Amino acid sequence: MSSLYFDHAATTPLRDEVRAAMEPCLHGNFGNPSSIHRWGREAAAALDGARARVAEALGATPGEIFFVRGGTESDNLAVLGRTRRLVVDGHPPRVVVSSVEHKAVLAAADAALHGSDGVPATLRVGVDGSVDHDALADVLARGPCVVSVMWVNNETGMILPVPEIAARVSGSGSTFHTDAVQAVGKIPVRVDQVPVDLLTVTGHKIYGPRGTGVLFVRTGVEVAPLVHGGGQERGLRPGTEDVAGAVGMAEALQLAVLEQEAERTRLAALRDGLESRLGTLVPGLRVNAGDAPRAPHISSLGIPDVDGGILLGALDLEGVGASGGSACDSGAAKASHVLTALYGQADPLAALRLSLGRATTEADVDRAAQVVARVVERIRSGGVDR
Amino acid sequence: MSRVLVAMSGGVDSSVAAALLVEEGHDVIGVTMKTFCYTGTGDHGKTCCGLDGIADARRVAVGLGIPHYVFDVEADFTRDVIDDFVAEYARGRTPNPCVRCNSFTKFQDLLRRGRALGCDAIASGHYVRMDRSGPEPALLRGLDRRKDQSYFLWGLPRDMLPLLHFPLGSLTKAEVRERARALSLATAEKPESQEICFVPTGDYRDLLRTRLGSTHPALEPGPVVDRTGSILGEHPGYAGFTVGQRKGFGGGFSEPMFVLEIQPDTRTVVVGTREELFSDALEVREVSWLTDPPPEGTTVRVQLRYRAADVPAVVTGCGETLDLRLQEEVAAVTPGQSAVVFADERVLGGGRIMDARRNAPRSVLQS
Repeated sequence: MSSLYFDHAATTPLRDEVRAAMEPCLHGNFGNPSSIHRWGREAAAALDGARARVAEALGATPGEIFFVRGGTESDNLAVLGRTRRLVVDGHPPRVVVSSVEHKAVLAAADAALHGSDGVPATLRVGVDGSVDHDALADVLARGPCVVSVMWVNNETGMILPVPEIAARVSGSGSTFHTDAVQAVGKIPVRVDQVPVDLLTVTGHKIYGPRGTGVLFVRTGVEVAPLVHGGGQERGLRPGTEDVAGAVGMAEALQLAVLEQEAERTRLAALRDGLESRLGTLVPGLRVNAGDAPRAPHISSLGIPDVDGGILLGALDLEGVGASGGSACDSGAAKASHVLTALYGQADPLAALRLSLGRATTEADVDRAAQVVARVVERIRSGGVDR
Repeated sequence: MSRVLVAMSGGVDSSVAAALLVEEGHDVIGVTMKTFCYTGTGDHGKTCCGLDGIADARRVAVGLGIPHYVFDVEADFTRDVIDDFVAEYARGRTPNPCVRCNSFTKFQDLLRRGRALGCDAIASGHYVRMDRSGPEPALLRGLDRRKDQSYFLWGLPRDMLPLLHFPLGSLTKAEVRERARALSLATAEKPESQEICFVPTGDYRDLLRTRLGSTHPALEPGPVVDRTGSILGEHPGYAGFTVGQRKGFGGGFSEPMFVLEIQPDTRTVVVGTREELFSDALEVREVSWLTDPPPEGTTVRVQLRYRAADVPAVVTGCGETLDLRLQEEVAAVTPGQSAVVFADERVLGGGRIMDARRNAPRSVLQS
């Protein structure tokens, strides 16, 4: 049985270069960066180096880079931490999110408004990737708020108009955060070219270590910490630093940015090939957000007349690792809030997300397309084809 | 070698069932059915079922080197099992939710999804046996009579029998535990679960209050009367009672009093002496057969409660409704429970008890 991993949007394996970069921090250079002695100093230097490399990769200054423990934490710190800071400054808590945000942002937005009368405002995103700019202007006109719109949607790969939104929010008195977890390494992400205030990146989607993340905080933007303790990460994320994680994250990010242009071209060609093969082989197939600008690594497919949960299991049995809507903790397939936002509650199509990565080849794409077509056919015929 | 879909609840029985199938060389796929969400649902569905059962089943599956999937059957389960459970109590009857689940939800879903996954057989850890020596597969009682679960399986679709495998049917519970230990299964020492899976508090009345509202007639006080209609007292809600139940009527009677009948229209609970509890004839509906239905006049054996002994009975009517005359009297025949019909060890079919009566004259009964 072949082994075809098509779930790179869920997570990616650690790159050899990243492992090599982390290695010294796990053994010899194991000190606590806060310590005064040689061990501490060397660890602090490694951490500073990592911070500088992340800053360079994103077009930021090192003082704007805060290491946190993953994408979800980074999103929470941005949305919740920034809203709390607005409240401290005497403003009512107000949050605006897009209709296709990751749950880390949606839940953080809910938490940010907990105890207030308000609920997060939602910016509707169209299947073409468009955002209602007039609605945004209305919200901005009513006073300072936190706007959070992801750069690349994790389920469909659609690219949202982050540069335009950032430009509109910039100077309005409100704060703009973007979750760029699925964007870095796939499309250009530069904070010196796009005026975002806060930006989230994670390591494990770009062949870096799990549990690593960064929040970019533009100089002058104040964020309240969510975790309280010592002065690490300038008080914004206390706790003894994960130096190896930060070094690995920096290495992964630098490589991802360096290879972004070539990888984008390569993956887009593979994805287009995959979709055109499947379009021929699977009757009724819909490419979700197919007309929107898209990052190259995600293909989200709507397939009629199959049960999504069965489809993923059947693909797994054939060696294809894919995902559907967002999975719940138990592993059972659930309807995706993103696809519901785009196609409505009653959308009868099962969701299949195939996401490509560094190791994906043309042959893999060919085989995956054939397996998907065969499995869909079997499920539709309701029986055993062996 | 065939591809077998095995239902894994995360308990020791289904874990061993899966392990035995793997040992036999089958291509085994484990599934856990998510039937009920224990935690509330957040605004974005962020709280989800971290059921221990799912995690345990997955751990065992990974240990056995087999794939494992979670099937979300919550909507079907709620409609076919929980709604029925609640409605039956509201009608003053005592349901068997496990029978409903096996008949309508679990095996039907396993079959449907199993086919799509390329499976040609369905297995579970029930203590029952399949005898394939005859012209048609026969469902038999489990060899370990204390664990036998045939009472819960009479409602399986007959045409599904050829596909079913029950690897534990010839084992005792002790042997199953031993196998689990020998295989170092993660669930080897897991205690038996006795409660209804969707009643985590252990008190089904909590569920009724949630689903019916606490002002539903089934949960409101009503009269306790004897057979003559004399009011003996008040009860806090008839849904809390089941036929044969003894406790809950206070003292002051010359002999112990039992629930004889529940009359939902008037919220009345009828009580009487133990002697009044016995019946010798019953009417069964929602009948389903795993063989050709037995003709009128056939003597069969019938089991009227889980873990109860079967008793001889004569079929006095067999169509949409099954009428049985019991050859010996049985106490507390309870509407809503299953009547399961056997020929020796073999399950012929069954149905839901609608009504029980005493036909034989009193003098005969007392002799």
